[in-house]
Amino acid sequence: MGSIVLSGRQLQRPLSSLCRSCSRRLLPRLSRSYAAVSSQQPDIYDVVCVGGGPAGLSLLTALRSNPTTAGLRVALVEAQDLEKVRSWKLPPDRFSNRCSSLTPASAQFLDNVGAWAHLHRDRVQPYHEMQVWDGVTDARIEFEWTPPAAGKTIAYMTENLNLTSGLLRRIDELGGVTVFNSARVAGISFGEETEDLDLREWPVVHLASGQRLAARLLVGADGANSPVRAFAGIESRGWDYERHGVVATLELEGEGWGGDAMKIAYQRFLPTGPVAMLPLPGNLSTLVWSTTPANAALLKSLSPKDFVALVNAAFRLRPVDLEYMHTISSGQEEELAWRLQHTQFNRRAIPQTVVGVQDGTIASFPLKMRHADTYIGERVALVGDAAHSIHPLAGQGLNQGQGDVESLARTIEFSVSHGQDLGTRMSLESYNSERYGPNHVLLGVCDKLHKIYSAGSGPLVPLRSLGLSAINALGPVKSFFMEQAAGNGIKLF
Amino acid sequence: MPPRIKPALLRQLRYLHLPSSPSPVRCTSSFPSRSFSATTASASASASHSSPNSTSPNSTFTTVSPDEVSHFNALASSWWDPQGPSRILHLMNPLRHDFIRSCRSSVLDVPPPPSNNLKYLDIGCGGGIFAESAARLPTTASVTAIDPSPEVLSVAKAHAKRDPALRSKLTYLNTPIENLPVPSTPQDGYDIVSIFEVIEHVPYPADFLDRCAPFVKPGGWLVLSTIARTWLSWVTTNLVAEDLLRIVPKGTHDWRKYINEEEMKTYFLQKRAQWTEPRCMGVVYVPGLGWKEVPGSEKVGNYFFAVRKVPDTA
Repeated sequence: MGSIVLSGRQLQRPLSSLCRSCSRRLLPRLSRSYAAVSSQQPDIYDVVCVGGGPAGLSLLTALRSNPTTAGLRVALVEAQDLEKVRSWKLPPDRFSNRCSSLTPASAQFLDNVGAWAHLHRDRVQPYHEMQVWDGVTDARIEFEWTPPAAGKTIAYMTENLNLTSGLLRRIDELGGVTVFNSARVAGISFGEETEDLDLREWPVVHLASGQRLAARLLVGADGANSPVRAFAGIESRGWDYERHGVVATLELEGEGWGGDAMKIAYQRFLPTGPVAMLPLPGNLSTLVWSTTPANAALLKSLSPKDFVALVNAAFRLRPVDLEYMHTISSGQEEELAWRLQHTQFNRRAIPQTVVGVQDGTIASFPLKMRHADTYIGERVALVGDAAHSIHPLAGQGLNQGQGDVESLARTIEFSVSHGQDLGTRMSLESYNSERYGPNHVLLGVCDKLHKIYSAGSGPLVPLRSLGLSAINALGPVKSFFMEQAAGNGIKLF
Repeated sequence: MPPRIKPALLRQLRYLHLPSSPSPVRCTSSFPSRSFSATTASASASASHSSPNSTSPNSTFTTVSPDEVSHFNALASSWWDPQGPSRILHLMNPLRHDFIRSCRSSVLDVPPPPSNNLKYLDIGCGGGIFAESAARLPTTASVTAIDPSPEVLSVAKAHAKRDPALRSKLTYLNTPIENLPVPSTPQDGYDIVSIFEVIEHVPYPADFLDRCAPFVKPGGWLVLSTIARTWLSWVTTNLVAEDLLRIVPKGTHDWRKYINEEEMKTYFLQKRAQWTEPRCMGVVYVPGLGWKEVPGSEKVGNYFFAVRKVPDTA
């Protein structure tokens, strides 16, 4: 049995009186030997969260830390071993390759639920300036806070494991979450009706261990291929970008042009996709390079020195030179040295030179756009990647998930304080209406940005440059975009 | 579409042109007082029914209107459909709790009245929208919910089975208020007696409220909600909600039974002893936004009203 109970909190309801025959209802695909194990009654929970990633852990933290919702019976089902997350530790000079840009709004939420203090703060790097430019025309937009706001944080670069391990520590501190660790979901079905209880609309999660959890509200925080979403019959629509995101932890020649106090994020739009370098503490940065699957395969096959050369080339060379450098299987370092002699650029407008890549940090993942038709069903709510997948070019994926969780926790709090059944679709309506529209707009904007900048030539190219230059010239418009990027701008909806 | 609006409008106007009902398009103050008491309203028809204070079990007197019971029986199956005809009631429910909380927290008793282990009596509970929600609150000890319509009450009971949290706290009884035993001592009464969206369906509201009053514990609250009788409430609840938008089933409202807030205050504070601290909150339904508190709107449309039974002086 892979379950651990984080606190000795007593069950609030007498489970002995719960529906006995629910146990007999099993999904057809469950094995017969399993049926014998599951003759016990299902445990009844107010919230069962499937998925212990950033969204699921944040939701449980929010519910447990709020006095109104702290009385709820909550469970977490996670397929991976959370012990590895809890004990995650790296030397101060080593950084995980999976980082996210947390907006001040997300950081504020994490602080409100008491989790921010549990992160390793020395591994969190705020940045204060953004440099974004068009790789074809060099049109540039400099996102820099105006003097009154100088030094203001645009976002915080955070390792995902730093976030999840911090959230777990906060959940440990709060207690009261029943955790089913390394627990595979074998199936989800509906409960049954007995003489005194009608659970026919309650989802029942069947664990491979034989345990069954009846959920007043089943939360799908279970990622892009969400089994909870499939159970609820909610379609997720979108397309694959035929691009991969290549990530790596990079070592630079210095702390950046602005030093430690003024860290800068860089993003250059190339015809194959945007390449971004985001600051980490000291002389480290994290790379997110959206490119073709073939280019991603090449990048992963290169020697460290050729990989470093290709990354440096991506921020310096013209697209045609860069394209050539992807056609050779090695020797990028020498090729770059020669081509740099014939390329003009402003050294201080691009990131400092990369001098190394940390071992084992080069990885890639496919990029796609997905949006579920709705985030709610009867006794079901979807959060984070289960509800939407976004192109990483704006660094908004994890923040969207945090926004979902904040809204869902608020919706649940309202239900509890007004005696509503928190699992019914009617109680969940405000969550869906608060989040669907803003997420849809952001998904659309990032999708269009990707498509507009994928053009290497043609009528779009001068137009988009004109657009970037115009934005750059218009202070108020630019600050509006920056406020939006930092997640604290005027609410559009 | 004017051809559809016109017959509905004419029907409504004809309906309202009764000798005792003036045209609705006049200012509020010109409306006659609602015949609040059974003894005046039915003086010519039956002067002989039992007095309001008599609670003899053999009495044939009832505060329940048979037409209303059959109307709500017909609605029973859709009561819990969140997109169905009762949606607007579901949306109103959270405001009921906000109102009760604001009433209870507004008193300055020393020591403050207990805020836990509260006992509720919900009169005219219907499908149990309020009763279920009251029972789920952690501050609630028990909810007794009654309704004279058997179909509606069976829907309420079946729905309550869906939530294991309700089993130990919620009791449904298929009875009108006059058949419910009055608490043996005042202290056995209820902390909150709620009468939501009921009084506008009752033929003799004064008698009905007199029957409800003994169930309130000293220091407890009688809380109700209804609709003011104004030209605007006729337009919104009868013409727009029932005939034009059809978000409320046809025949739900009889505008002539609506009671104004002043009449409610007069009843409790001038004609009856033992009541104090009247509270009122006007609410307006805005399509797309839901119910909103709008100060002053109690004079023209839906409103909540509460009075507190004078606490025992120790």
